[in-house]
Amino acid sequence: MSLYEIGRVCVKLAGRDAGKRCVVVEQVDKQYVVIDGATRRRKVNINHLEPLAQMLDVKSGSHADVKTAFGKIGVEVLDTKKKESKERPKKQKVIKAKLVAKKETLKAEAKPKPAKKEAKKEEVSESDATEDQEE
Amino acid sequence: MPAGREKSGRFRKVFVKTPGSRNVVHYRESKPSKTICGTCKKPLSGVPRDRPAVMAKVPKTARRPERPYGGVLCSKCTRQLLKDQVRGEAQ
Repeated sequence: MSLYEIGRVCVKLAGRDAGKRCVVVEQVDKQYVVIDGATRRRKVNINHLEPLAQMLDVKSGSHADVKTAFGKIGVEVLDTKKKESKERPKKQKVIKAKLVAKKETLKAEAKPKPAKKEAKKEEVSESDATEDQEE
Repeated sequence: MPAGREKSGRFRKVFVKTPGSRNVVHYRESKPSKTICGTCKKPLSGVPRDRPAVMAKVPKTARRPERPYGGVLCSKCTRQLLKDQVRGEAQ
């Protein structure tokens, strides 16, 4: 009988989950097992595990089972959230709305000025027109 | 005549051939030494080696391995340490 039977609590030695507790959920073959717990749920080489004396009752092997079993010992289990596919926000509309809002605020802020600006613009346009005519 | 700072040993010499086919000595700041494992003193892999100014632009996750004692101990020594810790608790 293998040391890494289902329910054996181990400590992961390698990788980013190193030093975290896990439990064997499934035996793949002589060399590989599936683990779950404070680590990510994944297939690992048993060379990367250090077995403990502790055993847990996780016969079904589901993540919920592992969570309750680890809850009794007081080890926090890593929960991976499934990513919900969201619709992409339509950028153009947002930008337009923002621009309109900006324009409105600018108008509200700078009410006394526009009269001068308009006058200047008119002058410029007139001068432009005259230049064009000269050419 | 080299400036005082260029004689201090902080810079390394680089011979550069100019467009006018002249050989000129340029001084560049030398890289720091390789990072080594805290216990076995072997050079660590996965830890880039460059001047601090350059390293500041490298993201933190790219500066060391993403495991406990990453960038301090090598993977072998980390495994041994974790094993020892676990076995120490069991006794």
